[in-house]
Amino acid sequence: MDMMKDKALEELFLAQKPHFTDNADFMAALTKRLDAVEFIKQHQEATIRRYKMLMVAAFVVGIISGAVAITYLLSTPVDVPLFTFQVQTGFLLWLVEKSRLIAATGLSLLMTIGIISIISNVQDIQRMRVCLKASQKDSGES
Amino acid sequence: MTREVFIADVEREQEALRGFLLALCCGRKDDADDLAQDALVKAYLSSAGYQDKGKFRSWLFKIAYNTFLNHKASLRCTESIDEARTLVSSSNADSEFEHQDLYLALRTLPPKERSAITLFYLNGYNIKEIAAITETSEDAVKKQLSRGRDKLREQLKIDNG
Repeated sequence: MDMMKDKALEELFLAQKPHFTDNADFMAALTKRLDAVEFIKQHQEATIRRYKMLMVAAFVVGIISGAVAITYLLSTPVDVPLFTFQVQTGFLLWLVEKSRLIAATGLSLLMTIGIISIISNVQDIQRMRVCLKASQKDSGES
Repeated sequence: MTREVFIADVEREQEALRGFLLALCCGRKDDADDLAQDALVKAYLSSAGYQDKGKFRSWLFKIAYNTFLNHKASLRCTESIDEARTLVSSSNADSEFEHQDLYLALRTLPPKERSAITLFYLNGYNIKEIAAITETSEDAVKKQLSRGRDKLREQLKIDNG
């Protein structure tokens, strides 16, 4: 391969090899940039951690409140309404009559919202991770 | 790779890297240093995946080369204006680099030929290593070197041999 080298060009390149006198300044500027990058990285990681914590907390609260509500529903006699009103009007009486059904529907709605929020949180975390990895990969490849 | 190790390695290699980018930027020192900083930040971000095989410099050069190409692509439309401006202004701090014949001659080469020539003559890499850094075939590197060399000889009025 060295046979391909042009002596005159090689000498010209070597003679004009630059010598930098501002190496310390360059390294100081780089360190500053790395500090900024580190700060952003830590901030992103902290956000992901916070998301995870929130998700776990929501999951635990959901499980506990769901279990309590179901236990309460199952422990009360079927013919006794779950809630009653002081005033007896047609609509309120209908509500009292259907109290178990209403409570079950409300509970299902809450659980559905909880599941959707957990799924969306998981997707957010995955998206953030992919973004982080992509930016890191990008920097390596591009 | 820890931050301390990365900085220590960069401290050792930064002059070679800046020299390489300075040649690619045809003597525009500010541009070269900006690109070097960008490339080193990118290298730092992907340093977790770097496995030490004693080729830290080649790895840095690869990132720097890609950073240079990306920068070049993003500046394609404004480049002619910038070049005209650079040629006109002679009061820049980097004019000592800028007006050297070699850098002016390098300016006439396309980026890939310029990179191959610089890596070969300035940094002493062989064809196989250049092919690995620029992610091209060895034949392509040979062609780039041959074309680049002919153009440089012509520009610099160097006789064959």
